[in-house]
Amino acid sequence: MIELSVSKLNKRFGGLHVLKDVSFDIKGPELIGLIGPNGAGKTTLTNVLDGAIKPNSGTVYLNNQRIDQLEPFQVAKAGLGRTFQVTRSFRRMSVLENLYVPALALGTEHSKAEIHEKSMEVLEFLTMEHLRNEYAQALSGGQQKLLELGRLLMLNPQVIILDEPFAGVHPSLMKIIYSYIERVNDQGTAIILISHQMDSIFSLCHRLLVLNYGDMIADGPPEEIKRDPAVIEAYLGIDEDEEDEKEGQA
Amino acid sequence: MEFPVIFWGVFAWMISWGVVGSVVTRRVYLNKDLDTSNAGMVGSMLGASTGPVGLILLWIKTPPITSRMMLFPSLAAVGVFMVAFAIADPNNLCVVNGSFVASQISNGLIIGIIYGFMALGLTLIFSILGVVSFAHGEFYMIGGMITYFVTTVWFPGINPMIGIGIACIATFAIGATFERLFLTPMYSGKIGRPVEYGILITFGLAFTLQYFVQALVGANPVKAKRFFDFPRIRLPDAADPWLIKTSRGNLELFDTISISNPRFTAAIMCILVFIALMYFLRRTWTGKALRAVSQDREAAAIAGINPDRMNMLAFALGSMIAALAGAMLVQAFSWLPQVGAIPAMRSFVIVVLGGLGSIPGAFLGGVIVGLVEAAGTGCIPDAQQAASYIPAYGMFVLILTLLLRPTGLLGRRFSSATHGKF
Amino acid sequence: MLKKTHAPQMIGLVLVIFFALFPFVYSANDYPYIMHIFITGFFYAILASSWSMLAGYAGQFSFGHMGFMGIGAYTAALVSHYFYMSPVPTNFCTEFAIGDSYLIILNPIGVTSSTLAQDCLKQAMEVWNGSVEVTPIPVWLSITLGTLMGGIFGLLVGALVLPLRAAYLALFTLGFSEILRAVISAEIAITRGQAGIELRYMFEDGITLFGRRFEQTDKLPAYFVMFFLLLLCLGILALLARSKFGLFVRALREDQDAAAALGVNTTRYKVMVFVITSMMAAGAGAAMAHYVGIVSPNNIVILQMSLVVAMAVIGGVENFVAAAIGAILLEFMLEMLRSSFVIGPIEVDMTTWRLVVFGVLLMLTLRFSPKGLLMPIIEYFTRGHIAKETVAKRDEPKMGDASRTESSQ
Repeated sequence: MIELSVSKLNKRFGGLHVLKDVSFDIKGPELIGLIGPNGAGKTTLTNVLDGAIKPNSGTVYLNNQRIDQLEPFQVAKAGLGRTFQVTRSFRRMSVLENLYVPALALGTEHSKAEIHEKSMEVLEFLTMEHLRNEYAQALSGGQQKLLELGRLLMLNPQVIILDEPFAGVHPSLMKIIYSYIERVNDQGTAIILISHQMDSIFSLCHRLLVLNYGDMIADGPPEEIKRDPAVIEAYLGIDEDEEDEKEGQA
Repeated sequence: MEFPVIFWGVFAWMISWGVVGSVVTRRVYLNKDLDTSNAGMVGSMLGASTGPVGLILLWIKTPPITSRMMLFPSLAAVGVFMVAFAIADPNNLCVVNGSFVASQISNGLIIGIIYGFMALGLTLIFSILGVVSFAHGEFYMIGGMITYFVTTVWFPGINPMIGIGIACIATFAIGATFERLFLTPMYSGKIGRPVEYGILITFGLAFTLQYFVQALVGANPVKAKRFFDFPRIRLPDAADPWLIKTSRGNLELFDTISISNPRFTAAIMCILVFIALMYFLRRTWTGKALRAVSQDREAAAIAGINPDRMNMLAFALGSMIAALAGAMLVQAFSWLPQVGAIPAMRSFVIVVLGGLGSIPGAFLGGVIVGLVEAAGTGCIPDAQQAASYIPAYGMFVLILTLLLRPTGLLGRRFSSATHGKF
Repeated sequence: MLKKTHAPQMIGLVLVIFFALFPFVYSANDYPYIMHIFITGFFYAILASSWSMLAGYAGQFSFGHMGFMGIGAYTAALVSHYFYMSPVPTNFCTEFAIGDSYLIILNPIGVTSSTLAQDCLKQAMEVWNGSVEVTPIPVWLSITLGTLMGGIFGLLVGALVLPLRAAYLALFTLGFSEILRAVISAEIAITRGQAGIELRYMFEDGITLFGRRFEQTDKLPAYFVMFFLLLLCLGILALLARSKFGLFVRALREDQDAAAALGVNTTRYKVMVFVITSMMAAGAGAAMAHYVGIVSPNNIVILQMSLVVAMAVIGGVENFVAAAIGAILLEFMLEMLRSSFVIGPIEVDMTTWRLVVFGVLLMLTLRFSPKGLLMPIIEYFTRGHIAKETVAKRDEPKMGDASRTESSQ
């Protein structure tokens, strides 16, 4: 049973209070959307959960293991994976090698043949089988994004955070990402989905978290969130389908 | 050294409290929910200067860190170190002889200005191209070589300014050509790792230029004669304890400080060119465009500036600055094809110490490195040992900077992706 | 069945056999000279290939590699110069009892070491008058110690440079190497400064192999020692490159944060790659020092580092075998280009011009073939078919969905 519990996370950068007492719980394989206007602290929250940034206070427990003071690689091994806002594939390694990295980092219970077989399955699912020996830099932007999702599968995590998986992706690949999210979720993995594309969020997620300037202002099912006055206030004047244009600094 | 135990004891004490201070202070500030970016630096300096007393006070009060809190403990740490040295070695020339100290300090300052000027070229190149030019020392060497050949071998008696001018033009041309031929693929994204490419290609240029010059002129040291003579001055005129006295090759102040003519003229020249350069950067369109590119490439490009042309200009200008420093110093030192190595590394040190990309930082760093080297060469008892350590003084400063405050004294962050990121 | 992809392995095997047989087949007058070139070539090959692991695979552009080499060489030199074993105490030197014998540490007396009154061991020998035999530290032990010392310093430097990237790393390591050189030249009392420190030859008393007697000056034993070290080093690198170590350090080179987010302990692998490659450099340095018989601070100058960098880059910095072969070829080329020639009235002194040629070659390689000159050849064999395969795979009709296996978690 997956249990991620985040309580009273605080993070300050100098005078900037980026996360203010952020708390939420995930029980079981939920599919959660994390939304909020630019600068709301979504990426910071991801970085804190991932271990790249240490919070000033607060705790994060994943299945009763405290992970907020761990290094990113330990968090990954503990079962929390993430993608980055800007695609970060290992550009001069082949597609297969990209997939081997997390599988090997996880441990050595599996033989190389098993890892290879699993990688091939992942590639087949992502319709990228024919590209397996190409360097990642030869792939299109959307395919690199798929590759990143594939890498996450190899890590076999319990919770994954997808930071803007739809940004700049061709509609045909979008379908693959949709089915990826649904399938991974069906297999029992909790997903936190960060996106500015509200229609995707609303069609996929069963629960939404809304961050606004470091405050968690709402937590509930999409229909409720749509009517929440605080959320409407925060989003006032912001186009719902706004593409994310800012360069990420994860 | 009479009491080495005292010196090394104090030194070890400072190091250990510095390390403790750096590590624990960072922890304490993190736990108290405060900004930790400079906590390590403050902690280590306070630990080194005051030991546990200051550290415990710091940990209890945890004031927000200001630049003053970094400056004073650092100065105090230097002070403690100096006092320990003075007690340990009471008969050392740089403890007992005030005029020697004054002379070392003023010479350190003057040579520091020249170092800073040379480092300015490196910082200019870095802030525009994001490349640390490993060929900087070779431009310095070529500047000196050309000036030597023009003024001494080919046209003896010519005005040295012409020689310096030719050196500047030539190195500007070399720099621009090199940039066009070898650095352009960096910007187009054709190269996988542009920063590493920049390091290697300038490294290759350094190697090639050095041996090219050696193949042409041989490996014997040469030296240009003084460019300008001082007018004979003696102030006040007839009094015996005079304040300023000059001979053609030397300047003496207060009967104690002696400054050689070549260094003095070089420093003056560097200051003049620096002022001209600042005028260029702040007042002319091209200069403003350069600064704009250094702050944001894309935005500058949108504003109608061609960043590629600015790259060429910056590399050529930066290399020319190094050559100018060399051209001025060829009258002070004997010149070899290998002469660029030490100044080049010194420039790296200065630029990192001052903060990559910061122009005032380059000058500040230059003066600090000049003083450290003057202290090192003046105070180490064994003269031969002191001379052997010359390349190392700056490197100690470099390593300390990288460990304590990697952004440098006056560093700033860069927006462009090609810059060596942390 | 021989496939095209096996060509590099075959060529490698042929090269190994060639180098193993060469000393027995070749018999021209310049035999010792050619052998010397190859020994030096092997030395540079170890340095270039280990540097390619550090810079090409792990992306750590360190200019301190020659510094590590110097640490190995100087550790070996100091051990060989100052340490002896004796069955009885000298009562003059610093000494420690180890079992029934004594480890004697000579007192450092700098360049005037020939004076009897200062050299404690000589004083003791005078007293013993030939009745006691002291034994020097065996060469294999000093090489091992040199290698270990390189590892210790590699650990230290690797830990210090953890937060530094790109240009800062290059500057830091350059600084490390310069400080090392300055310390060695300055501490004359111990290191004898610029004069250099002598150490025992690799086979000081000669050696008998398979019934053939080799004197101290014979090149063949040293040739095989160096060759063996090179093969050992290449073997270790090959194992590392094929294991998850190689995969992780390359991931680290490409994107440190992404690698960490996928569970790779980046700190550990970054330090490990420093330790391993500096041990290789140090080992090569120690062995070379014992072959040459003297080390001086000039072995660590930046020119030497430039040579290693140039060799690795021209061969192919992202493949350690290419770097090693490049080093041997270039060392050979550099030696062959030494002979000066005359064009009309001008005599061209090639001793310097060859280095200019070398530098230009380095720059042109970087500019027009950033992967090096040998690496593309290897890639032609190992990866040349991939583009075609990709297209073929994409175009082939998809099998029915039934044949796909559902991936199990």
